Amino acid sequence: MTAVATPPARPRALTFGNVWLSVILVAIMFIYPFFFGKTLNFGISTLLFAGFAMSWNILGGWAGQTSLGHAALLGIGAYTMTLLATPERLPPFLASPLAPWWGALVGMVIAVAVAAVWGWLTFRLQGSYFALSTIAVALVIRLIAINSNWTGGAEGLFMPDLPKPFGFDLFDRQVEYWLAFGFVVLTLVITHFIRRSRMGYALQAVREDEDGARALGIDPARMKLLAFMLSAALMALGGSLYALYLQAFEPHTILELPLSIQIALLAIIGGRTTIQGPLIGALVLSIFGEVFRNVFSNANLLIYGVLILLVTLFAPNGIMGLFQRASSKLGTAR
Amino acid sequence: MDEVAVTAFFQTLVQGLLTGGLYALIGTGLSLIFGVMRVINFAHGDFLAIGMFITLALFKAFNLDPYLSLLVAAPLGFGLGYFIQRVVLSKLGDRLGEGSMLATLGLGLIISNTLLLGFGAQPQSINVPYAINTFKFAGVQVSISLLIAGLGTVLVISALNLVLYRTELGRAIRATAQNPLGAELQGVKTSNIQAIVFGMGVSFAAIAGVLLMPLLYTFPTVGENYVTKAFIVTVLGGLGNLPGAVVGGLVLGVIESLGAFYVSNNYRDAYGLIVFLLVLLLRPEGLFGKTVKRV
Repeated sequence: MTAVATPPARPRALTFGNVWLSVILVAIMFIYPFFFGKTLNFGISTLLFAGFAMSWNILGGWAGQTSLGHAALLGIGAYTMTLLATPERLPPFLASPLAPWWGALVGMVIAVAVAAVWGWLTFRLQGSYFALSTIAVALVIRLIAINSNWTGGAEGLFMPDLPKPFGFDLFDRQVEYWLAFGFVVLTLVITHFIRRSRMGYALQAVREDEDGARALGIDPARMKLLAFMLSAALMALGGSLYALYLQAFEPHTILELPLSIQIALLAIIGGRTTIQGPLIGALVLSIFGEVFRNVFSNANLLIYGVLILLVTLFAPNGIMGLFQRASSKLGTAR
Repeated sequence: MDEVAVTAFFQTLVQGLLTGGLYALIGTGLSLIFGVMRVINFAHGDFLAIGMFITLALFKAFNLDPYLSLLVAAPLGFGLGYFIQRVVLSKLGDRLGEGSMLATLGLGLIISNTLLLGFGAQPQSINVPYAINTFKFAGVQVSISLLIAGLGTVLVISALNLVLYRTELGRAIRATAQNPLGAELQGVKTSNIQAIVFGMGVSFAAIAGVLLMPLLYTFPTVGENYVTKAFIVTVLGGLGNLPGAVVGGLVLGVIESLGAFYVSNNYRDAYGLIVFLLVLLLRPEGLFGKTVKRV
């Protein structure tokens, strides 16, 4: 070892702290319903998946822990909200117009608790081993949902009639669009905030070099656990909105492995080391999916498979990575 | 225990061992690939699905006996695996660890969705009269197809052992697994060896698919169930440990079978998952052996 400080061996992580890109994306999402009011379903599902991908990314991207079991956390949100939306299940003083949102809140708390135990158990595993363990935990949660009575078993649950808080009908697609929009903006703001926070820098350090991070006085296990809990809370919130949107769901649609993989791939294809990557991944893949819907009918994940293969081979930093490489060639990179 | 209970126990045990044999075959392919290449193949279940659908297609088109499909599925699986390693995995270079996980996930999605386009989502099965036959041995009912599947597994794994320990190729494979750089220096073309090994692993999965087809119905995402079984089997035995994969497969088959019979059939898949998590957390090197043994 020489006294000369050596530059980091890895290429500098892509960061794109660019707030303006986020503002532009939010503006596009804001004007969407005014121009495409007839395709609100497409808009809502795209936004929800964008939010899921960004929530996943707090653990999967910023902390670098590839989870293939996040659908379980989404499911916890969806199930808790639907179960607690039935007024008889709530103490009378809570059965107010805000009823469904208590369920969303409880779902978030449960998801955070599950993530805490889950992470505490599995964070000693590295790389692909961690990914394998997340599959197993999520599959166990799925089996419980399928085989329990209170979850509706394999038939799943129906969202009951909901009160209309302040006159908003929660089954109105217009209302649901703005809820999904709010979810995405919240997730985006939180990710921006983390990026500039102590926690954000610590997480990136852990991702790039866990031993190095420890040497700097960062506790990697604690940081990963915090990221997992935050990711879980947002996932569960998104899950409760997804339940509102679906109105009826079963374990098969909301807890299966392909959904977990889909969410992870959105973030990775878009660019997991960036803030807006998962959002862009969700937008691009939704548009692709819509364009090819007639060709591929229900084989909609084919395009995910092709894209993740291309990204892995040719663009390790995802669409945002390509974007940054292009812009740095033009000399406009930050 | 009265006689009925004893017979029921042995019935369950035999059922578990025979199913476990198939898990062992799937797990051996996965473990072989991991042992030599350090790659966890997330598309393994989808290669099994390919084997099943080849059998289905040949049966529908030519009324071909399902077991004769092995002659097509095994070499085709090998070729496919060889090709994938050459065209995709070998291009990942020093990003192989994370990259291979994503690449094989992507390949799996491409395979299952292509099958969906070609064959539709409906579960399909083939109807051969002898497949549902059983015979009684000491009071225990044994399904003929399950027995054939078990024997097939024994044959394939014995053949693999002969190749690994009696041939020059096997020596090269073991050398590549132990020390790729050292093997390369001794004149082993490790890139070719890795492609051969990936081909063998895929071929095993396809063979398992063929052997399963007379027993079950198939659908494009059928591999999903089996890829988790394969992960459990290999982790139980220790990743990259071939004898471990065989024992792991039998253990998983027996645990599932006994659990389903004595506890609850609804949680059949959960027993394996829980054992899997426990082993992953407490003994990541596997149930057997003090250190991670390689091929």
